[in-house]
Amino acid sequence: MFRHTALRYTALVLLASGALFQALTAEYFGLEILTEILILAMLVLALDIVAGFGGMVSLCHGALMGVGAYAYAILSTKAGLAPPVAMAGAIALTGATGWVIGAVCARSHGIYFIMATLAFGQMAYSYVFEAPIFGGDDGLGGISRLDLSLIGVDLNDSRSFALFCLALLGAVYGASVLILRSGLGRSLSGVMHNEQRMRALGLTVWRIKADVFGLSGMIAGLAGALAAQHIMYISPGLLSWTVSGEALVVVILGGLGTLVGPLVGAAAFVVLKHELSAVTTYWHLVVGVLLIAVVMSRANGIFGWIEARWGIWVERRVADATRKQDPEEVTGDA
Amino acid sequence: MKRAILAALGLATGLAVPATAQDIKVGLLLPFSGVYAALGNDIEAGFATALEQFGAETETTFEIIREDTEVKPPVALGKAKKLILQDKVDVMAGIVSSGVLGAVRDMVHGAGVPLIVANAGNDEATGAACSPYITRMSFSNGQVNRPMGQWMYDQGIRKVYTLAPDYAAGRQMIDGFVQTFTAAGGEIVGQEFTPFQKTQDFGPYMAQAKSSGAEAVFVFYAGGEAISFVKQYDSFGLKADLPLYGSGFLTSPLYVNAEGPAAEGVITALHYVPTIDSPANATFVEAFKAKTGRIPSEFAVHGYDAGRALIEAVKAGATDRESLANALRQVRFDGPRGALSIDPATNNIVQPIYVYETVAGEGGLTQKVLAQLPAEADPANGCEMAAPVSN
Amino acid sequence: MSHDLGFWTLQALNALQLSMLLFLLSIGLTVIFGLMHFVNLAHGSLYALGAYFAASLAAVGGYWAGFFLAPVAVAGVGVLLYSGLIRRMRKSGPMAQVLVTFGLIFALLDLTRIIWGDLALAIEVPALLDGRVALLGVEYPTYRLFVIALGAVIFAGLAFVLGRTQIGAMIRAGVDNDAMAACLGINVERLFFMVFCVGCALAGLAGAVAAPLLSVTPDMGLQILIPTLIVIVIGGLGSLRGAVAGSLIFGFVQTFGAVLAPQLASVLIYALLAAVLVIKPVGLFPAKG
Repeated sequence: MFRHTALRYTALVLLASGALFQALTAEYFGLEILTEILILAMLVLALDIVAGFGGMVSLCHGALMGVGAYAYAILSTKAGLAPPVAMAGAIALTGATGWVIGAVCARSHGIYFIMATLAFGQMAYSYVFEAPIFGGDDGLGGISRLDLSLIGVDLNDSRSFALFCLALLGAVYGASVLILRSGLGRSLSGVMHNEQRMRALGLTVWRIKADVFGLSGMIAGLAGALAAQHIMYISPGLLSWTVSGEALVVVILGGLGTLVGPLVGAAAFVVLKHELSAVTTYWHLVVGVLLIAVVMSRANGIFGWIEARWGIWVERRVADATRKQDPEEVTGDA
Repeated sequence: MKRAILAALGLATGLAVPATAQDIKVGLLLPFSGVYAALGNDIEAGFATALEQFGAETETTFEIIREDTEVKPPVALGKAKKLILQDKVDVMAGIVSSGVLGAVRDMVHGAGVPLIVANAGNDEATGAACSPYITRMSFSNGQVNRPMGQWMYDQGIRKVYTLAPDYAAGRQMIDGFVQTFTAAGGEIVGQEFTPFQKTQDFGPYMAQAKSSGAEAVFVFYAGGEAISFVKQYDSFGLKADLPLYGSGFLTSPLYVNAEGPAAEGVITALHYVPTIDSPANATFVEAFKAKTGRIPSEFAVHGYDAGRALIEAVKAGATDRESLANALRQVRFDGPRGALSIDPATNNIVQPIYVYETVAGEGGLTQKVLAQLPAEADPANGCEMAAPVSN
Repeated sequence: MSHDLGFWTLQALNALQLSMLLFLLSIGLTVIFGLMHFVNLAHGSLYALGAYFAASLAAVGGYWAGFFLAPVAVAGVGVLLYSGLIRRMRKSGPMAQVLVTFGLIFALLDLTRIIWGDLALAIEVPALLDGRVALLGVEYPTYRLFVIALGAVIFAGLAFVLGRTQIGAMIRAGVDNDAMAACLGINVERLFFMVFCVGCALAGLAGAVAAPLLSVTPDMGLQILIPTLIVIVIGGLGSLRGAVAGSLIFGFVQTFGAVLAPQLASVLIYALLAAVLVIKPVGLFPAKG
């Protein structure tokens, strides 16, 4: 079950205001970084839903985002559909792909599940790489952004696009909370804790997994369509398994199963990557060591660690407060 | 009275301050990390060498800002935007991968910033996707391979089997060769495109080539794939009956020594080899060796000629983005590669092509030039651009 | 284009050679996984390290120095990794293991770039194994035959150790049920350590052997990782037979698919992997069940 605690609300408010501040005041490069963070945050939200709340660790979410990006690109350029329609199409297609993958892999667990998603991701990558319609290794260009001139917004301006992504991210976050609090979300929680029991209760477990994977796929598809619009150019590298791996790294870095954690993780990861690559070309080494350290420390990422510390602090205060009463009660009777 | 004197002094001081020298900001967009870092480093070194050698010919100073593309289009686009919008560079140079070029093309064209392409060879960049702001000083995929078609036919070869990695550059390179070879009267008895960067064992494809009845094999591979291919080709003992030809990237000076004796006897065509016998090349090779300790590759000469082109444009009086873009399209000079010029119809370089054989020399493998084929502009390829304003 | 018998023989030999190379890599990984239930995604990076060590050693002492000493060097790295990381992560779930070894891939990738640079390295085939042998009507490179022979010898050796020695019996018991094996007095921890180091040595050997054939580049580990995973999953986890079966299947599908239906081949192999994972996740010839 997903609950908002005071700490999570505070974190959300801080993140949102930070993003808003950055969007309104930053220079062009700062806006680029912000948009990158926002799109990555959307992807890792999708991943946290299945991995953190469903126990289904997926190494194909990068590929799903790639599917969304390519679907949007093909629908808007080759098929000539209007951007809003193309976006809806991309989201639907990626959702369907996610549903199928979730359904097929529903019976697999643990490492087998991870590898099965990896296999599907690689299948998509190979297919996109080979098929000539996708432009192969050279990718596809000439992708246009959504046209919001009806409400007086020009998305070709970096600032407007960043704010647009921020708004969509907020909507996606709200949708994620709704999903997790709904009947489906509760069933998912049950499935993660004890599949057999859920089956005994009469629930169709594979359906639950597939549905959640499909919804997660839709979010990933939206992230992909936005990524395509952001760079206005896509290449098969988007679907590589290393992108999925990086998404997983971000979720872990931020805090699995907290929904707010991945947002923190996305910001930290992108900023870290940019700062590091300005200093050294060997930033993979730093990220690798950092990841190992975070995983081995058994803390649940940055936000998980904060929550744990906060929890301990609150507990201690409660213990202090209640401890004071007992001696008085005891001596009061005597 | 006092005010008048102060005013006069101020005016005099203002007039006395000499006009500040022009300062041109150059954005260098190259891969400095990852598997293409070696190419990026060579291009940068070549560029710096040119500025050192020819910088004195103009009073302009050049401020260089370097950014790492990581050979990833999204990263490169972000860095390009930074260079253009935040650093406000006057001109950009670099770009190793065609994928990256495709990604930044619209941005560069829309922002009106001149870009000197120092490697990426995809045909569309000076074809259907050409732009008056993008000038290519390196090569185009078709350009480097077209002359080999006629040359191989002239050597008496009639049947050829081709191999290349399956991606846009691979296909364009082979297409360039096939067009001219078949036009001359030759026959392509088979073609195979291997999965790009996923093929490590070329044995199966070589077996196919052998059973195809070809007289020679023409291939394009670069980097690690080229090393593997050449070594494996030699290990199968095919060179005696089925001589190996190809695009010069197969035996590029940058990594031919990793191929070892397997590369001996392979004949390829490229727009530059360090053994070109000319004074301009001798100067360049010496300066580059003194600077970096190694022999220049074709990538280094791209950087060198890009730097030279920039200086020529500045000498012609260009000072800002528009004038630089215009002037760059009209540069012509004699460089290490020979007589170079830009074709105003496509903004692609016009340069001679050298056919050479890799032979053993003192201190490693070296290139023996067999023929210098004349420079030809790319044929009509879909580029539609207004002509430049004459300098 | 007509294919004569010589063509098919040549391709079959190529497929066999690819299979043997993958076998050397996958046997270490599958036994580690079957015994320790530990997923080591960094196995490909150890293969790359083996190739790099071999290149450096060969520059000093010739090919054979690399051949014999590179596996030792990689085993040494394995000792460091085991005591530093693996031992602590053994009890963690698959996700934690995937992530730690993923981080290891990143770290090792940049470490090889720092130590050996970005340019590709090369090793020459030793004079003894240079040239070609006339075999079954075709001329086949001697070195590739050496790889096939080496794979066969290693297979025979491992089959002997696993099937006929006490250590082998202990390993098989541990794969079957490590808790029970510990109850019976087998020092399972030490067994794991030994198996891990031998697995690393085999990966290093695979790298040293592959280096003269392919080029030595920083991303060679990443490139070989997915094929290795495919081999052990399809073949079956934890067993020698599984590793051989998986390697042969992959080698032949890849080689013949590449020449007969190249576009289809890459999608086909992943489809096969997905099918196995979904239908029979333990693979074709698992050690258990």
